[in-house]
Amino acid sequence: MPGIDECLLEAMRLPGARGAALVDWTSGLALGTVGEFPGGDHEAAAAEAAEVARLTAEQRAFTPGDHDDGSGEEAADPPVEDLIISNRDSYHVLRFVPTSFDSSVFLHVWLARSDGNLALARIRLGEMAGRLVLG
Amino acid sequence: MTVVGTTPPPRLPVRDKAAGRHRAGGEVSPMLTRLAAERATGVLERERGTLYLTEGRVAHAESPLAPGLDVLLLTHGTLDAGAWREAVEQADEEHGAARLLLGAGRIGQGALEVCHLGALYDAAYFALAPSSTPGRFRYGTGHPFGALRPVAVDALERETLRRRALLHRLWPDPLPDTAPLLRAEPVAAPGLTARQRAVLARVDGVRTASDIARALGRHAFATLVDVRRLAAAGLLTAQFPPPVPQPPPGLTLPRVNDPDITLLKRLRDALEAL
Repeated sequence: MPGIDECLLEAMRLPGARGAALVDWTSGLALGTVGEFPGGDHEAAAAEAAEVARLTAEQRAFTPGDHDDGSGEEAADPPVEDLIISNRDSYHVLRFVPTSFDSSVFLHVWLARSDGNLALARIRLGEMAGRLVLG
Repeated sequence: MTVVGTTPPPRLPVRDKAAGRHRAGGEVSPMLTRLAAERATGVLERERGTLYLTEGRVAHAESPLAPGLDVLLLTHGTLDAGAWREAVEQADEEHGAARLLLGAGRIGQGALEVCHLGALYDAAYFALAPSSTPGRFRYGTGHPFGALRPVAVDALERETLRRRALLHRLWPDPLPDTAPLLRAEPVAAPGLTARQRAVLARVDGVRTASDIARALGRHAFATLVDVRRLAAAGLLTAQFPPPVPQPPPGLTLPRVNDPDITLLKRLRDALEAL
């Protein structure tokens, strides 16, 4: 089963991948990074992505209808699967990673828009997130 | 209309926060920096936690204020207690418990790395907190758990300072981090996340944030984030520190721990932080 680095290197094999990171959205800490990141500062990029991920995960509007949102106090999985941000020259895909232990991590992949493929990236990142934390 | 020019009132004295932050940003622990430079291996004991160094990098960290890896892995059933005990008992210098768990297929590499790194940064946050006593370093071997993904000292110090700043931004009073917590009746309660509700449900006037983290099998820092946000929302307060014991008769000391002064100081800090 892959470790963090293997998982990030696999993400870098996606078409158009510029950078990949595993980030904790509570603290904004990057647990691992590969490749480059906007502005050249992967710590700042991780902190900013974490802020967006945290906000998304906490909004009731983005929670699926059948999600256990508090009647049972331990909602195990993050309510959101992934988050896609696009701009003129690139895509960012943030994939939440459900774990059996308590954590708050997501995979963040930065793709060049010219050769990035969002549909493929979504599917692959979902598979990678599953493999990364297989107990 | 006549406008009368007056001299503006003098600026209120405000402590120079930028300078303070700059000082704090220099070095969290000069001793740790030195040990990293000489690529030392051993155990650094500080007031609120312990760091295990392997060739100048931090391989493991423990703090009585942060739940250990065992709590995180066992509370939610990621590992069963028997498998954990077995790995810890069989661990020796050559094969740390981490290698044994991975070798036996008890847990995946990715899951163990994510959980261990989380626990390491979590405990290091407390271990690197400002302390009143000097740290002690014993040269020797690493932790029996074994090095999984050792972290560079400067990265760990930067992250610790960032976490301190993050908590300060949420709610500038550090008292709820360590004191027993009490529920408060808010004037207008905001919507809470499921995680915050779980924390609030365990606030009983006795438990501290660390106790709640351990009970929930969560990282202590993540719990501090929830606690400070709940404090900012007015849903909980920290119990004031217990009164200082009376000085022996015949000796008069200035009373510096006056609750009114403490309250005023907290108010000032909160206002400055706005």
